[in-house]
Amino acid sequence: MKIDIKQITEGEESVVIRYRKLTPPINKILTVLSGDDNRLRGKTDDGEVFFTPDEILYLESVDDKVFVYTLDRIIRIDGTLNSFMIEQADESFFRCSKSMVINTLRVTALKSLSSNRIDATMEGGEHIIISRRYASDFRKLLKGDR
Amino acid sequence: MKNKKKISLWEAYLTKEIGIEFKACLYFFAILFFYCVYRLVCGVYDASILHMTEMIFTCYIIGYIQVYLFGNFDESEKFGGREITGLIVCIGLYTAVSCIGNWFDGNVSVILGFASYLLVVYVCVLLIYRTKRKIDDKKLNDDLKLFQAEHKK
Repeated sequence: MKIDIKQITEGEESVVIRYRKLTPPINKILTVLSGDDNRLRGKTDDGEVFFTPDEILYLESVDDKVFVYTLDRIIRIDGTLNSFMIEQADESFFRCSKSMVINTLRVTALKSLSSNRIDATMEGGEHIIISRRYASDFRKLLKGDR
Repeated sequence: MKNKKKISLWEAYLTKEIGIEFKACLYFFAILFFYCVYRLVCGVYDASILHMTEMIFTCYIIGYIQVYLFGNFDESEKFGGREITGLIVCIGLYTAVSCIGNWFDGNVSVILGFASYLLVVYVCVLLIYRTKRKIDDKKLNDDLKLFQAEHKK
């Protein structure tokens, strides 16, 4: 990416971003410029929206597209579940299966299932299964052993 | 880092195998107990190695059937048609092998008692797993509350 920086002595400061595709780094720059580092950008049927990580109940990856589920919206975001986890670097977000990430802070109840799986009930009432592969890591996370 | 966190297919397979092995041991001991009591009542103070070999192999094979065909019904949360079918089939198989292997000298009432005993064993195992899960639920929810209290922003 080519970066042009020009110092000015008078006039209003401005930033122009020219992009071909809205990639996660561009998205991040836009988020920083919008004045709230903590806000994330995404798209709904109504257009572009901003939301905070606290609003997220869970994320799901479907056909290489990542959807964020909040209490009242389904938002499509750019990137992958992995890139989201890396960008957020927040242990409240837990990868609970190959295609899902849950916000542990928005879990209302947990239920132990057979074959060492865990059923997580989210604030919206959805049930998300934490698969056996990830269940032991989830237990460690809750205990603070991770 | 990826390899460290994820359980490989081999590890997942091994976990399942250990589960079956554990199941085989559990049912083998339950069956052996019934067999030994029967022998004691008959005044026989030794057990046939051949019968015990048949028992352990039967337990292994039925363990596989339980896990792969009937969705591990003795550990299941709900008890529906598939689980009831699994229960009947497995009890039927154990009873059939006990007849073929002549574990109870062809005594029909003992064989019927053995089938009823297996039903009790399965119900007990089901209840034990259910209780274990309830205790686990409580632990998990306590840990969750603690985690949320520590991490709430």
